[in-house]
Amino acid sequence: MTDVEIIEKAKTLFGDKIVEIANPAKRRIFMTVEVRNLTAVVAGLRKEIHLWYLATVSGLDAGEFYEILYHFGHENGSLTIRTKIPKSDAHLESICPIIPGAILYERELQDMFGIVIDNIPDPRPLVLPDDWPAGNFPLRKDWKYERPEEKIPGGTK
Amino acid sequence: MKFNIPIGPQHPALKEPISLRMTVEGEIIRDADIRLGYNHRGLEKLAEERTWIQNIYLTERICGICSHSHTTCYVQGVEKLMEIEPPQRGLYIRTLVAELERVHSHLLWLGVAGHEAGFDSFFMYTWRDREVVMDILEMISGNRVHYAMNTLGGVRRDIDEGQRKHILDSLETLRARSEFYLKIGANEPTFVARLAGVGYLSKEKAMDLCAVGPTARASNVARDVRRDDPYAAYDETPFDVCTAETCDVLGRTVVRIKELFESYKIIEFLLKNLPAGAISVKAPTKAKPNEVLSRYEAPRGENTHYIKSNGTNKPERLKIRAPTLANYPATVEMLKNGFIADIPLIFAAIDPCICCAERTVETLDARSGEEKTLRFSELRKLADERYKKLSPKRNAVWPF
Repeated sequence: MTDVEIIEKAKTLFGDKIVEIANPAKRRIFMTVEVRNLTAVVAGLRKEIHLWYLATVSGLDAGEFYEILYHFGHENGSLTIRTKIPKSDAHLESICPIIPGAILYERELQDMFGIVIDNIPDPRPLVLPDDWPAGNFPLRKDWKYERPEEKIPGGTK
Repeated sequence: MKFNIPIGPQHPALKEPISLRMTVEGEIIRDADIRLGYNHRGLEKLAEERTWIQNIYLTERICGICSHSHTTCYVQGVEKLMEIEPPQRGLYIRTLVAELERVHSHLLWLGVAGHEAGFDSFFMYTWRDREVVMDILEMISGNRVHYAMNTLGGVRRDIDEGQRKHILDSLETLRARSEFYLKIGANEPTFVARLAGVGYLSKEKAMDLCAVGPTARASNVARDVRRDDPYAAYDETPFDVCTAETCDVLGRTVVRIKELFESYKIIEFLLKNLPAGAISVKAPTKAKPNEVLSRYEAPRGENTHYIKSNGTNKPERLKIRAPTLANYPATVEMLKNGFIADIPLIFAAIDPCICCAERTVETLDARSGEEKTLRFSELRKLADERYKKLSPKRNAVWPF
């Protein structure tokens, strides 16, 4: 399907669930949806347009909001669903029931941004170490790494 | 009775630290769990503090085998953000190095596959011939691993007539050798018997779990970014997407060997049609606020970079998704219901039942979940009864 066909089909399928849909470059579609419609839209895309391949999920710290981008690939390009969640209530519904391959990307979001994914099948940390201090989310813009003071055993002078 | 066996994070079969936890029932793997993070370097955070140019060298060091993949993916995204168009010759050379990299990566993988299957002469042959490609890459770029060919707006080194001729001559050798590998990989009875049916991944599962690259293509999912979303010089280059229908390790081997031939075809086309002109254009230091999704077909599958700029000389966000991460959920699926012997290799040395059986063991019945404490003598009695009744081989569920 070409970009125009996908945009037309998405518009007829989802109607006013789509806040904005843009085609900034050839084979790139960016579509904004509200977070409450996210799972419905992902399920619709999977079923009706056969977008089975989720390339990745990108998180983004945009000041007051987190932007979450679901990048899908298809035979003729890619489609990205963008959704925003407020930092004060960073909750997101898991899309694993629709696309099981999303699990690692959702776990990474939890690790890196502290976004809580509701109904995630496997909530364990993915990439951060076991002794990582709670409440530290590295990819938030206000998080800065401070190297702990080096202590050499026996070297107290 | 189910046991959990950890493999890794340090393990001779896996060259990089990753921890696999296997739940086994007898010889059969019932469940697998993957733990990551032993090699997490915080590159995405680091990239936000580096300039556009510095990040090329950072992304190059994500991986040693596909170093050109990550820089190309990054660089072509940033070029879109900066609204510059690399010259045609630059794009051709970029594609040429990408294909040479694919050849060396696939030859390396073939060798590893041969080694893990216990076919070490295959390993030695493929790695010897891989040196031909490595020499070409060293001749073009001066380096064997980090080629540093890409820059914003093109490539850093040109190709002269002598190099062009040398590559075309070497292709003849590689073609002849690869034909031999295809003959062995697809026909040699012992090799085929070892690979066929191992690590089964159905087409439906490959699609559900978003598998990429040769793994997906061996499950008959014809996806290739080079064809679906052409970048660099691929829209002008003729090639075919190779697939297999067997959905197992044999299929993955055949797909990779066939892709070697496609790569030779692409390299030959690029060299014979190399346009004249400049190899790069000057890039600005800053990029206007915008965002871009860059995709690239690395030897292992699709590589995805999402780059957002904010008007400065540093990215606002650089999200990197390497192909291997996308294939982990599929790997868990492949391991399920396979044999321990199919996970290379040290598992055979671990005998999980005996080591602590001298005292009492707590067993958890895999089927009923019933827990009970047994003495060693009772355990042996149970084992005797079981083995009298049936051989474990007959009870095993073959993965195909």
